[in-house]
Amino acid sequence: MHLSIRGVTREYKVREGKVAALQETSLEIQSGEFVCFVGPSGCGKTTLLNLVAGLGKPTRGEILQDGRPVTSPGSDRVVIFQEAALFPWLNVIQNVEFGLVGRMEEKKRREIARTFLNLFHLGRFERSFVHELSGGMKSRVAIARALALNPQVLLMDEPFAALDAQTRGILHEELQDIWMKTRQTILFVTHNVREAVRLGDRVLVFSARPGRIKREFPIEKSRPRDLEDPTWPAPYIQLVQNELREEIEKVLQQEVDHGWKLKKAEFLRPAGVDLGSGI
Amino acid sequence: MAQKFSWLRRFSFYFLLIGIWELIYLLRIWPPYLFPSPGDVAQSLWGGLVDRTFLIGTWVSLKRIFIGYSISLAIGVALGLVVARFKLLEETVGSLIGVLQVLPSICWLPLAILWFGLNESAIQFVVIMGAFLSIAIATDSGIKNIPPLYVRAARTMGVKKLDLYLRVILPAALPSILTGMKLGWSFAWRSLMAGELLFVSLGLGQLLQTGRELNDMSQVMAVMLMIMGAGLFFDYLVFAPIQNRLRRQWGLVL
Repeated sequence: MHLSIRGVTREYKVREGKVAALQETSLEIQSGEFVCFVGPSGCGKTTLLNLVAGLGKPTRGEILQDGRPVTSPGSDRVVIFQEAALFPWLNVIQNVEFGLVGRMEEKKRREIARTFLNLFHLGRFERSFVHELSGGMKSRVAIARALALNPQVLLMDEPFAALDAQTRGILHEELQDIWMKTRQTILFVTHNVREAVRLGDRVLVFSARPGRIKREFPIEKSRPRDLEDPTWPAPYIQLVQNELREEIEKVLQQEVDHGWKLKKAEFLRPAGVDLGSGI
Repeated sequence: MAQKFSWLRRFSFYFLLIGIWELIYLLRIWPPYLFPSPGDVAQSLWGGLVDRTFLIGTWVSLKRIFIGYSISLAIGVALGLVVARFKLLEETVGSLIGVLQVLPSICWLPLAILWFGLNESAIQFVVIMGAFLSIAIATDSGIKNIPPLYVRAARTMGVKKLDLYLRVILPAALPSILTGMKLGWSFAWRSLMAGELLFVSLGLGQLLQTGRELNDMSQVMAVMLMIMGAGLFFDYLVFAPIQNRLRRQWGLVL
């Protein structure tokens, strides 16, 4: 699978004309890559994810999946949302097999659903109602539901943002395990730089208004990575954070007031610190 | 107050109410043929059950409401769906539903009698006019209040068109549709009773009317009890369990 995003612009109509949520963005994604998007709010990272999902259409440019343009949503590009978006009228196992209904007989799809549920150690809860699950369990079920469809690319839109730090840490481990087993192509949108660095092969920093990819940081750390270890990601986090800080400041200036200023000099250029440009 | 004695409190309340009734009866403020004792009414009720007139009346009324209500349900849900789906229909038909909803359904009876004659169809027409509008409104608003996230999630899993409606939109709107169904049921029941009162038709409404014509107040009250009983039966034994199950499943119970 190869995903090719070519000169994509997405504009929205607002009261005073048009606003480009995403402008002239190009990106190539290879099969099996884990790519993280970070950026300030309103930088178009979620917009790009939705366009890849087919939930919206680019105003200009095109998105090609194996050479064919993406025109509508499809089960080969499943999105996992921040709120797990599980269906409360179905129990856990029915949720996991939701996308498989009508594609295969019941026995077969139940078997697949069970396999993925067991992957997340949730076999015991297959008959539970959705509201009986904790936040972390819901996230797991949502991921199992997506993986059961065997998608070519998994689109994750801040999937762990609403979870507490411990649960998020555990889910990072589980996601890494699964990625190593399946080599599933993943596009992962997050606000959390630490999360992006720990999980991704590449971290793309988006700039705001108009949204575009500002810089790309390859994370050259072999897997399995020790996700608890703060030492190896530290230089990467520093790099990404510095890139991001300017953008966040730009957004705040637009949102708050023109006189607003972050203590830019101190944050961005601490004296005598090598920013790791040699890495 | 302890929850477990709530039935006792309720029971004592009704017992007290009947006691007051009996007391007023014994005081002879009104003549017995206008104000019968609880005992007279019970006797009437028993008599009606034994000679099966009440049972036949209930059966006839229930058969009518099942037919009328089923048709209302089908029309109401379908109409609510298309109104929610198509903007043009929402602006046109949707507003008409709101207008018609204002009209008490029994007001359709004169028109129904002229159109269909004094027969079953006229009564069914009134029942349907009473019930389907509120079901359509509830379906429409239920669908409009679905979190868009459900639909987006389903679409990215490759579910579209009719499947999207059957597997996501309708189940997601079900709690609201059920509320509309309950409301529709009580409208249908009221419309039916009003319709049956107004012309010869067997059914509970007519038994009530017969009681009046025979100046038999205890029969009137006994039939009123039958009508209440039938209404309660459906509220508690049909709708409440469905609603409770749904609430448990969705996690809406505290």
